[in-house]
Amino acid sequence: MFKKVLIANRGEIALRIIRTCQEMGVLTVAVYSEADALALHVLEADEAVLLGKSEPSESYLHIDKLLAAAKRTGAEAVHPGYGFLAENPDFAEACEASGLAFIGPPSKVIRDLGSKTVARRIMTSAGVPVIPGMLEAATDVALLSKEADRIGYPVLVKAVAGGGGKGMRVVSRADEFTEACLSAGSEAEKAFGNGALYLEKRLESPRHVEFQVLADQQGHVVHLFERECSIQRRHQKIIEETPSPALNPVLREAMGRAAVSAAQASGYVNAGTVEFLLDGSGQFYFLEVNTRLQVEHPITEMTTGLDLVRQQLQIAAGSPLAFTQADVVPRGHALECRVYAEDPENRFFPSPGLVLLHREPSGPGIRNDCGIYEGFRIPVEYDPIISKLVVAAGNREAAIRRMIRALEHYLIAGVRTTIPFLIDVLESREFRRGSTHTDFIDRHFGEWTQSREHGDLARMAYVIDELASPGRISAAAKVAGVPTPWQRLGGWNL
Amino acid sequence: MKYRLKLGEDISDLHVLKSESPDTLRFVADDSEQDVIFRVFDGSRYQLTVGGRSTEAFVLRGDQGKHVIVKGRSFFVQDADELPQRRAGAGRDEDLPGEVTPPMPAVVVRILVKEGDRVEKGRGLVVVTAMKMETTLAAPKDGIVKRINTSVHAKVAPGDILVEMEAETHE
Repeated sequence: MFKKVLIANRGEIALRIIRTCQEMGVLTVAVYSEADALALHVLEADEAVLLGKSEPSESYLHIDKLLAAAKRTGAEAVHPGYGFLAENPDFAEACEASGLAFIGPPSKVIRDLGSKTVARRIMTSAGVPVIPGMLEAATDVALLSKEADRIGYPVLVKAVAGGGGKGMRVVSRADEFTEACLSAGSEAEKAFGNGALYLEKRLESPRHVEFQVLADQQGHVVHLFERECSIQRRHQKIIEETPSPALNPVLREAMGRAAVSAAQASGYVNAGTVEFLLDGSGQFYFLEVNTRLQVEHPITEMTTGLDLVRQQLQIAAGSPLAFTQADVVPRGHALECRVYAEDPENRFFPSPGLVLLHREPSGPGIRNDCGIYEGFRIPVEYDPIISKLVVAAGNREAAIRRMIRALEHYLIAGVRTTIPFLIDVLESREFRRGSTHTDFIDRHFGEWTQSREHGDLARMAYVIDELASPGRISAAAKVAGVPTPWQRLGGWNL
Repeated sequence: MKYRLKLGEDISDLHVLKSESPDTLRFVADDSEQDVIFRVFDGSRYQLTVGGRSTEAFVLRGDQGKHVIVKGRSFFVQDADELPQRRAGAGRDEDLPGEVTPPMPAVVVRILVKEGDRVEKGRGLVVVTAMKMETTLAAPKDGIVKRINTSVHAKVAPGDILVEMEAETHE
């Protein structure tokens, strides 16, 4: 096993990785930017190296600085976490070239699977069903338009180098096609330096169901069952669960086999996730492979009892998997909610700033992977994730109730968070019924606001605080010499 | 005692009456009346009992109001009487402020206009980014860009006036 690992990331995922390293007796090196000098991952790691300015390009995305930090501290391996350089084949390649173990798949696999069309070709040849569409990217709008007619509207225009919804358009009619291609192409050119596009058939209200896979260097591949991640806003997941309410044992078996084939066909090594779209008739289609640890990996850990980061380190160090497919038996139901510093009442606008209060929930079956603390200033430069709150219980209903309780006891003030929105989604009849589709939020929660009842309680608490705390004199009252609310309260006439 | 409290966009009146017991207040809103028994746990932690059911509440003072959390839901509550009054007739374009400020702490990525430009209402002026999300700040009304007070890469916050506009003088 490695003696020392550098973690090329920040926030909750850096802490998540550090925790497993500590339990394995592996020393950790944190890296950080100027904005993160007082971040928790800096505090928790055995060593920390300042990379540079707060801009990601000067810090967490700067390959040379990361390699220099690894060299200087004597780290033998690099864990990229998720986001930043996690799926950047150049970074994996640079690590390989400088003799560092990259805790993830080989750079060639990342490169192949990072190209949507190469990935689709690999899957097609392995017999994994892909969404009907193109296998080669194109920039010629006339050719794309001909393909669109062949596939049939509605179609999805996607950037070949894309991700996160950038360079993506839904086109329902032929006369909107040219304009959609032009704007998607220029957006993709700007975001990824590659304006090439391809087309897929647009599925109506699908579910997003993904399978976790583990592959060792000896060629063994197992899957760790599914995660359903259909609840998304701006194409980003906010609630995930396992098992999926939509799978029966037969479908689960078929999808699990397809996921293992996908990993084998691409020469996969380490932990990865094969994403599928599932339509209403039980047909599933390959979407993409995420060649890294996923944000939502803890729900799989809760139901399988495996520590995925530990598995990743062991695989990267050359150990074979210590179990077979038959040994993996999931138990119960797990849910994850992503707590973001965003204002759900205002189009999920980011809400960075100073955390005035932070109290985490506790109790049986609750885990909170969190990167902030009371008094921390959440920087504007990075992803808005504060924490991933995870629960496990015997069945889906019990897990939902446990998550609602946990969210109600997760107290964060100073920045807006998605917590109240998450509670309302979990309490909704549609979610309880398990009718979770990727358009769930647009369809049921497009115009969401906080409930009146809780607002009334908040107003009462405001007034009680005004009247009942004698020591808390407002600055204005002090200056003006006005009697405090406490004094005023005493003088009332009933 | 009467309070006018602003929560989100909603301003409502709340009458508060003292009762026989020092730990009970009576809240009177438009159509309802409720007794609330309260207990102070520490400077910011309260227990509110309404209709026999107890709720924990946290109240923290911010710059221009209080952050209140009840049952995992956080609210920003302000005393409407202490807020700057809106100008009469607000709603007409001419009365909108000609100053453009970001809705959240952010970093300026692009400036789309220059001083002296004539712009129409809704035209993008400045693009800011926060937490990987880009937002375009648009002209609140037709007019002329009078001054640009920011530059690319600048860190900005709500209240900072990034662009000042003035109404076009009609000929």
